[in-house]
Amino acid sequence: MRCDKEKIKSILPQREPFLFIDEVIETQADEKVVAVKYIRPDEDFFRGHFPGNPIMPGVLIVEAMAQTAIVLYSLCKPEIAANHPNYYLGRVRAEFKAPVFPQDKLILEAHKVKIMDTAGVVDIVARVEDKVVAQATLTFGIKPKK
Amino acid sequence: MSNAKIEEELRQMVSEITEVPVEKLNPEADLFTDLGVDSLRAIEIVAAFEKRYKITVPEKDIPNIRTLKQIIEYFKEAKKE
Repeated sequence: MRCDKEKIKSILPQREPFLFIDEVIETQADEKVVAVKYIRPDEDFFRGHFPGNPIMPGVLIVEAMAQTAIVLYSLCKPEIAANHPNYYLGRVRAEFKAPVFPQDKLILEAHKVKIMDTAGVVDIVARVEDKVVAQATLTFGIKPKK
Repeated sequence: MSNAKIEEELRQMVSEITEVPVEKLNPEADLFTDLGVDSLRAIEIVAAFEKRYKITVPEKDIPNIRTLKQIIEYFKEAKKE
């Protein structure tokens, strides 16, 4: 299954300028999601990180990973995701291996480790072309909106 | 793999996730009330356990696994099946 930005927006609560995936290019049942973020040279965060030396902040790579994890959760638990619950990060175990620059195509591949109604654990690898730039295990919680 | 080896691995795994040193990890201590583990740490423990040993722990069983001793017992039962 592929998702365009509009479909992604129907799943994720985030919006520009804090929406960090542009499309979903592959899903494998409820086990795996591959999403893409095209890193534009005019991304707002490049103005400050860093002037004259633009590098995508690692914390935003983690955010892109977390948004990919939400898409994976929505495949596993569509009936809960349809009610647009609140998603919150609990723990991030991440390694950053290489910088991400303007015009890179950041590919985020998320694999389910454990997904339950109220929580999830997902392994994610971020690549640019064939190079791993970061990898992480994210633990997150899901709470219905009050 | 021997039971002693598995118990040691599980102890190490729980210690790493809960950040409680191995030597202070009493097998009978309640992970939630004695060691301050919250629900997200609990799912991390379960996920690590499942990944390492290729076992699936049903969601309904998780609230009943509250101590390291119970994790070890659960593993032994799951392996029997």
